[in-house]
Amino acid sequence: MNYNFGILSVTVTITSGKITKVGIASLQDGGNSLSQSIDAQSIPMLEQQAMQAQNANIQGVSGASYTSAGFKLSLQNALTSLGFK
Amino acid sequence: MSSQLGESRLTRLHHREEVMGTVVTIDLYNELSVPPAEFSPFLKNALSVLNHADKTFSTWKVTSPLSQLRRGEITLGEVPIEVKEVLELCAVAKELSKGWFDPWSLPGGVDPTGYVKGWAAQRALDALALSDVTGAMVNAAGDIASFGRPSPDQLFRVGIADPAQPTTLACVIELRGAVATSGTYERGQHLINPFTRRPVTNVASASVTGPDLGLCDALATALVVGGAEVFDLIEQIPHYEALTIGDRGEQRSTSRLAFVNS
Repeated sequence: MNYNFGILSVTVTITSGKITKVGIASLQDGGNSLSQSIDAQSIPMLEQQAMQAQNANIQGVSGASYTSAGFKLSLQNALTSLGFK
Repeated sequence: MSSQLGESRLTRLHHREEVMGTVVTIDLYNELSVPPAEFSPFLKNALSVLNHADKTFSTWKVTSPLSQLRRGEITLGEVPIEVKEVLELCAVAKELSKGWFDPWSLPGGVDPTGYVKGWAAQRALDALALSDVTGAMVNAAGDIASFGRPSPDQLFRVGIADPAQPTTLACVIELRGAVATSGTYERGQHLINPFTRRPVTNVASASVTGPDLGLCDALATALVVGGAEVFDLIEQIPHYEALTIGDRGEQRSTSRLAFVNS
């Protein structure tokens, strides 16, 4: 079992007290093969929807329960794969 | 570059666990870069909570204590203490929902699945709360438990999936605690009216927010099945709020649900 965290380092640029830019500084997934296979399949498909979620500045998506297979196509997956913009 | 420009670093630690027939995502938020390894013991505890719940409560693993109970091979006096605890919590949820959430009315014997996932995710979050992170979120297949904040100046924000098109959002809410959403748009019709024992849905999607994800999960299920009657019940429960989305996208929410206006 893999107890490692993946890590998303995010840089936040603040101008005059407002966040003006957020970028991914580094992305490591902790060697988790599950997340690697999920990412490879679904990131391109969900990029557009994830952008909407990122623009809404949300950390999670609540919806009807999905199975493991359904997760790959979920907005939650896209959101956590891409992290912040 | 402006002279007013400053830079700070936020770190989000992320883990995914395939468990309970789904994927559970865990996110920890920190203001400063603490080595991720420092959180590994807390993550390990959170994951063992989830995996233990899976082993104990799975209805499709024939060897699970719950399966044995359902087949009548062991009695309530012989089940692990967690099974007793969950069934007692289910009884409370049944009472609060005036019978619209009823694990005892399902075919094949008592089935607390509608409570367990939320209960387990809430307990996994409790394990993470022992670390000194700024905020943490456990998302078990769309049911979310959280504490703290993702950053010092913001509460957690959660999008509610649009039942007509689940990869887009119907709305965004500010989260204090937990939110569970129930509906049939991901896995097809699987919700039973406990009074008629027939499949039924009153709304396309029902979400319930509140301090405890187990109860949110149960009430969301009751809300899809019971509709307006359950909505009125939730309005009366302190600290719990509800949102329903109908087949035509029409939304109805209890008076204190915190929407984020975009």
